[in-house]
Formats: sequence, C-alpha cells, structure tokens
Amino acid sequence: MSVISTTKSRVASAYRLLRVPRPALVLLAVVAVLPLVGNPYVLSVLINIGLYAIVAMGLVLLTGLAGQVSLGQGVFYGTGAYASALLCLRLGLSPWLAMPIAAAASGLLAVPIGRAILRLRGIIVAGVTLTVNMVFYYLTISVSDLTGGATGLVQIPRLPYPKVLPYTTFVFYVTWLLLIVALILSCNIAASRVGRALKAVNLLGGGSEDTAQVLGMDVMHYKVLAFVVAAVFAGVAGSTYAHYTSVIEPHTFNVQTSVLVSIMVIVGGVTSPWGAIVGAALIVGLTEFLREVAPIILGGPTGAYELVAYGVVLVISLLFLPAGLCSLPARIEQWRKERRI
Amino acid sequence: MEVSTVLQSLISGLTLGCIYAALGLGLFVVYGVTRVLNLAQGEFVMLGGMLTVSFCSMGVPLIGAILLAVFVTVLSGAFLYLFIIRPARGASGSTLAFLTVGFAFAIEGITLLVWGWEYRSLTNFLGSSSIHLWGATIFGQAPWVVGMTVLMVVGLFFFFGRTMVGKALRACADEPLGARSVGISIERMALLSFVMAAGLGAIAGATITPLTMTAYNVGIPLTIKGLLAAFLGGLHRAEGVILGGLLVGLAEALSAGLMPTGYHDAIALAILLAVFLARPRGLLPSRGAAE
Repeated sequence: MSVISTTKSRVASAYRLLRVPRPALVLLAVVAVLPLVGNPYVLSVLINIGLYAIVAMGLVLLTGLAGQVSLGQGVFYGTGAYASALLCLRLGLSPWLAMPIAAAASGLLAVPIGRAILRLRGIIVAGVTLTVNMVFYYLTISVSDLTGGATGLVQIPRLPYPKVLPYTTFVFYVTWLLLIVALILSCNIAASRVGRALKAVNLLGGGSEDTAQVLGMDVMHYKVLAFVVAAVFAGVAGSTYAHYTSVIEPHTFNVQTSVLVSIMVIVGGVTSPWGAIVGAALIVGLTEFLREVAPIILGGPTGAYELVAYGVVLVISLLFLPAGLCSLPARIEQWRKERRI
Repeated sequence: MEVSTVLQSLISGLTLGCIYAALGLGLFVVYGVTRVLNLAQGEFVMLGGMLTVSFCSMGVPLIGAILLAVFVTVLSGAFLYLFIIRPARGASGSTLAFLTVGFAFAIEGITLLVWGWEYRSLTNFLGSSSIHLWGATIFGQAPWVVGMTVLMVVGLFFFFGRTMVGKALRACADEPLGARSVGISIERMALLSFVMAAGLGAIAGATITPLTMTAYNVGIPLTIKGLLAAFLGGLHRAEGVILGGLLVGLAEALSAGLMPTGYHDAIALAILLAVFLARPRGLLPSRGAAE
C-alpha cells in the first residue's frame, strides 16, 4: 500500500514539478493592480516590506523547516547588495546580470560559513551568527578600497526599466514578483523530499538530528543546503535593494537588521512562508507609523518608539502566540470549536 | 616593533579583557542556573552606566549614584525574569533567548527616549590620573576596571564556594531535579541569578563608563563580546569565562596595536571565532558530568 502511494506521489511530482498555491495567485493579482491605487510613499513602504519578506522567507526555511536559528542574515543581504553594486560599478555589468551572480555569491559564501557553524548545536549557533555578522560589518567598513568604507557605495546603476513606469512602481513589481517566486519555491521545497529531510532534522518541530543521522541521512548536507538557500534569498533581496536605492552603507547590513528579520519571522510565524510576509508587513508598517506619527504626537527622538515596539511585540508574540500571527486563524477556529462543545 | 607599543597593547588588552570577563560572568551566572542565553546582558551594563551618570549629574555622590544605579538595574533584571522569562517556563532555548532580545530592544528604546542618543561619560573615580610607564599609558580609570573585575571574581568564588545560597545556586545548575528534591526553590534561584547578573552588569557599567563612555546603543556590541568570551572559555565554568574574556580583550588590543589600522576589529573577531570553532566545547575541559 505504502509502496503504491509513494510511487503514485513520485509520478505526480514528476508531472507537476512546480505546485503553485492558489493564494499565491491571488497575491499576484493584488500586486498587479496595487500601483494603480497606491501613491509613491505607499509603494516605497511596500518595497521595503517585500525586500524584508524575501530575507525572512529564507529564514523561515532555515528555522521553520530545518530548525536552525540564525541571527546573521544581514551578512547575506549585505553580500548580495555589495556584490551586485561592485559588479556594476567595477565591471560595468548590467544590473540584470549582476543580480543572479550576486545571489550566487551569497550562496557560495554560505557554504563555508554554514559548514563551520552548523556543527554546533542549540542556541550557541545564534550567538555565533551574531558574531559572524559583526565580523562582516567590520569588514565592510575596513575594506574601504572595495566597499567605500563607512560611507558605502553610491551611484549604483538602476535596473534598466521601461520608461513608461515610474522607477518606484517598476521596483515594486520586481520585488513582489521575486517575493512570489520565493513563496512558490518555499512551498515546493517544504513539500519535497528535501523538505521532509529538513523536517526530520528539526528539533524544534519534533524531529531529531540523531535519529535522522542513525537512519542514514547526511544531516550536515541538508542543514547546509537550507542555510545556502536562505542566503540566496537574502542575496537576491540585497541586490534588489542596492539597485533600488542606488546607495548602500555598512550600517544597513549590521546586527540590528539581522535581529529585525528574526523578529519578523517569529511574529509572523516560523512554520509557513506566509509568516514571513505577514511579519515583514507588520514590523515595517509599525516602524513607518511610529517613525512618522509618534514623534509628532508624543515628542522625543525618532527611532525610540520603534525599538520599544519591537521589543514589546516580540515578547508578546513569543508568550501568547508562539506559532506567530499565521497560526491565528487556526487558533480562532479551534477556540470556536471548543466553545461549541 | 616598539616595546612600548606591545606594552601598551598588553595594558589595554588586560583592561578590555576585564570588561569582557565581567560581561561573560553575568552570562555565566544566568546560563548556569537557568540555561537561558541572556542576550540582554549588555543592556544591564549600559543601564548601569547611564543611570550612574544621571544620578551623578543630579548631585548624588559617586558611591550613592552607583548604588542607586545598581538598585534600578537589579529591578529591571527582576522584571525580566518575573514577567518575561518565567511565564515562558519550559520553552525552547531559542525562544528564551529571543525573549531576552525583546527585553533588550525595549530597554534600548526606553533609554533613547529618556536620555537621547548622546554619548555620556563620567570623570575617573576619585580623580585618578593616567600613569606613564616606559612609554605606555595606563589610563586613570583602568586600575579601577581591573580591580572591579578581580573583586567580582573573588566575590563570586567566595559566594559559590562558601555560602549556602551560592551552593544552592550551584546545585540548581548541576542537577535541577536533585536540587528541587532537597527543597531548593528553583524559581527563587533563577530570580536570584537574573538579579545577580543585572547587579554585576550595572557595577561593570558604572566602572567602565569613564573609560569607554556609554550611550543607548552600546549594549548589543557588549553582549556580543561577552558571548564570544563566554563561548571561547566555555560557558560551563567561571574560570573559562574569565580566561575567554581576557583572550578576547588581548586579541582585540594586540591586533589594534600590531595590525594595519582599520582591519584590526575584523581580524581579532575572526581569529577568536576560528579558535572557538576549533574548540567548540570551550578551552577549558568541563568539570565532571556537565551536559
């Protein structure tokens, strides 16, 4: 019986290589019409959300699926941005060509880093990734011949775009299309053989590395694979960011950014790629609101309220909704059922 | 190479090392008893420094200002345990660590609201001034920093080795179930460990402020250095953490003195990281049947 069903599913997966979840198509439709109603400010916020969501989605694969914590995604976000910028500025490559190369560079960098740190277990990995991020930050400042030092790189060429659209609108489309591609890929990875292997390694999700190892799985291979995929996602987002703003500086890729991405993933929900989008939307939205509104109403320096809000939101979400906002519908459903009984 | 350069590096390395050792000890106390990786340890240090500066500027004498700062910081540590960590009992290590991150962000934000973003400093304790020694300079505050750490270490060893409460804390660290069965309240001990970490952090913060200055955002880099120190030496032994702290400080200062300017921060951290990855269980062997 089980043999037959396995064969069946194998045949099925061979025919339908890429499953597209229906909500992703709905999202695509919404993205297509949004620029017609949104003003440039809204679009720029949405671009921010999209970029963070791509990085966060990589982290969802790494944490939600493989159970590995990382507080160093800023490294790969930054690698994507700097690699893409340098390929264009120094070698004169087209941004469209630079983007995949930069993403690959992020992925390549993730191989040795992943191999070195994923041997460690538990929460120590979080501390080590933080340190790796700090090394990266110091490097971006000190290798100033290449990275422009603390002031960063300027005049990074824009993505070539049809002049009928404003650039912001165009970047919005690019970002969200990339996000939807990442979403579809994530869903497919989760449902694939690799996804199941990753779940087997996931201590947080009830799996066990030791059991997987005993069953003959190359645990390290799968963990590094998840780390690399997460890095590639972050690299793509970084590259897009560089060509969007045309200016990059080391501070953008420091520890704070990495921690913020982790907060998005936790708040949104680590078990589903949708959690990345929800988390990014909530945190970026909150940031924009508190940055624009709170100092006017309450006074005080910009930047203070959002820090407090990040902390409060993170703690509340860990204590009361540990599976993230994504699990809210299921929870409400369950609550209703219990009340009916 | 000049002898004075090396001497200078050693002196600043020792001073920095003492700062990191103090941070590592705070991490060690909490991790040992509760298995929580407290990523807000640097915030305690920052808070201790900022509060001392504030109380001093209100005209409180230094000793009083430090005591008040320690008191307030200890309250924040108790808050962290009672209202953030304790409700999440039994959660995974990463959940607990992220809870402390949340606390760290909130503390940073509140500090920024109250004191603004300016860097603040204190005058050297008792107005002690710099000492010149074979072309190297010992900053006036440096002996205070070293003395503070030495006192902290001696005090902790006495506390853990000789007092009943200290032994109870160690029992919780070694064997929580056994400790509970002989009537030690694990929760009270956990609260004590957070309070101690906050207090140690605040004292360290007050002492290093004349040397390093302080601002709302110095907490996270301090935490990272403390983590590195604790990981290097091994989070399971206080001696290891102190050794780790000194190593981090010396590596940082030596590379600042000897390596090309600009690169030294990255090089020092990368070397230390490599050492840790080569010996992930810590430089000192664990004592007995530690996990």
